[in-house]
Amino acid sequence: MNRKTFCAAAALLLAGTSPMASAQDATPAPQPTAPGIRWQKEVPAIASAEWTGARLADGQPDVSGFWSNTISNHSNFTDPQAGPPGEPSAAAKLPRDQRAPSRVSDPGDGQIPYLPAARALQEDFAKNFPNPVKPRYIEPLARCAPAGVPKSFMWHGYEVRQYPGYVVFLFDSGTRIIRLDGSPHLSPEIKLWNGDSRGHWEGNTLVVDTRNNNGKALFGRYGDFMSENATVAERFIFDADGKRFNYVATFTDPTVYSRPWTATIPARRYTVADKPDGWHFDVKPVNAPGRPLQYEHYERICAENNGPFGGGAVGVPSDGAVIDR
Amino acid sequence: MTAKAAILLAASTALLMPTLAGAAPAKPAVAAVPAAPAIPRQADGKPDFSGIWQVLGEADYDLEPHAGRRDAPPGPGVVEGGRIPYTAEALERRASNFATRAKDDPRLKCWVLGVPRGVYYPAPFQVFQRAQDLTLVHQFGNQVRTIHTDGSDHPQEKHQEFWLGDSRGQWEGDTLVVDVTDFNEETWLDRAGNFHGPDLHVVERWTFVDPNTISYSATLDEPGIYTRPWTINVLLHRRRDKGFQLIEDYCYALEYEQFYPHKDGQ
Repeated sequence: MNRKTFCAAAALLLAGTSPMASAQDATPAPQPTAPGIRWQKEVPAIASAEWTGARLADGQPDVSGFWSNTISNHSNFTDPQAGPPGEPSAAAKLPRDQRAPSRVSDPGDGQIPYLPAARALQEDFAKNFPNPVKPRYIEPLARCAPAGVPKSFMWHGYEVRQYPGYVVFLFDSGTRIIRLDGSPHLSPEIKLWNGDSRGHWEGNTLVVDTRNNNGKALFGRYGDFMSENATVAERFIFDADGKRFNYVATFTDPTVYSRPWTATIPARRYTVADKPDGWHFDVKPVNAPGRPLQYEHYERICAENNGPFGGGAVGVPSDGAVIDR
Repeated sequence: MTAKAAILLAASTALLMPTLAGAAPAKPAVAAVPAAPAIPRQADGKPDFSGIWQVLGEADYDLEPHAGRRDAPPGPGVVEGGRIPYTAEALERRASNFATRAKDDPRLKCWVLGVPRGVYYPAPFQVFQRAQDLTLVHQFGNQVRTIHTDGSDHPQEKHQEFWLGDSRGQWEGDTLVVDVTDFNEETWLDRAGNFHGPDLHVVERWTFVDPNTISYSATLDEPGIYTRPWTINVLLHRRRDKGFQLIEDYCYALEYEQFYPHKDGQ
């Protein structure tokens, strides 16, 4: 993403918590070149089943291509269309059942079952997010930190590329390499923004065990989080026609939660039938005259272009040496 | 083995093949090919560079020949002909960069290193290959480059000033030839302040020397910065250490990572 599109995306981010965002949002309306973020309210159920769709030469279900989440960005994990702390969306005034459900699908109350001390930390972050007077209150993605697990699935659209032994997710803020070869996890001493992922296919479901998490990415602007002790059991459940998948992830972390809990984040595929929108589907036409239309995503750049973009989502330019190697 | 020696070896291997074929006239020429070590190939027969690769050498310290100094081990240089053919004006800037390299090298911010520097920077990168593209995931920072091999051309829209340029590749026999254009001028070529401008044009050549070694060359051209095109050659080695894998290294996040996740008492 170049500087121009990053700024446009940032404006969309603030204005576009829902298609109903109104004048109470002080930030600019979506740019003319981007039709806005298309959010849905429903989360369709997708059952684990056999895979009946296309397969790659190595036998993997073919899910390569462009994908993006369908209900909202990372502004609000448990009330996805209500907006970030201090900036409620227009939809936030509506009865709760007129917005997309909580991403917490278990427990049934839609809340992350924090231990009291962890809940206090999350609430302290949310309270300070609109006016981050300390570095710890700046949402790390605003610094271009890797979006990590699970926030990467609530940010911009992303691309899946598959290879024998691998599923690779290319996000705007980082890359996840899912290894399918049955190899062991890295040493538990190593903690990473994206964790260390080992997976396998069960029918229509990519099952991934993610460990080695550093917990630093947070889940979004309300400061929901896991610690470096968390393990995440992820299930990417693809529907029969390959148009959607649900990301269903169970988080286990006895130091932060009173019990394991599960998140569900819906996603849909983007194809040449969709119009590029600079957000879900930030692509350009492939320059191949005489061939049918195809799209490609240009390089993904963030830290190098990052700058302030207002509100609690304050960018933090970084221009000094950070390594000595 | 030097890059030049590797190319000589590859050339001599190629010369050997007709000889073998001639010695066994009853068989088709292709029957002689197994005399050379088999290289990995895609289903379509093209070489398959999938794997984790890393340079072994001093190129990133200084592309040109240099004696050992405080911040660099000695190196024979990887530039054909020894020196980079800068214009007089560019040579002054290079000297200025060299003087301030301890603070101005973009690598120190963990930013995208660019092309070709990312290839010979001494950190591993993984190639994921399909018929239509190669994806290079570099361990260092957040650098992911797609080399398109689907016959497409550079984007019609020019001057997008990519950090990694725009890469379009094609096969010339078993050599992947990649044309890379439309850069910005933010990246350096090494730790010694060698540099390019926004009109840099790079042509890379990727060729297997053997199944675990790639001969990599890059020819750089930019009128106004260089007086003529110039070429570097390095070898890339397959990382074969037991259990080796890329480990994310988003080092640009190091300056603020201590603030997360939430902790008591802060």
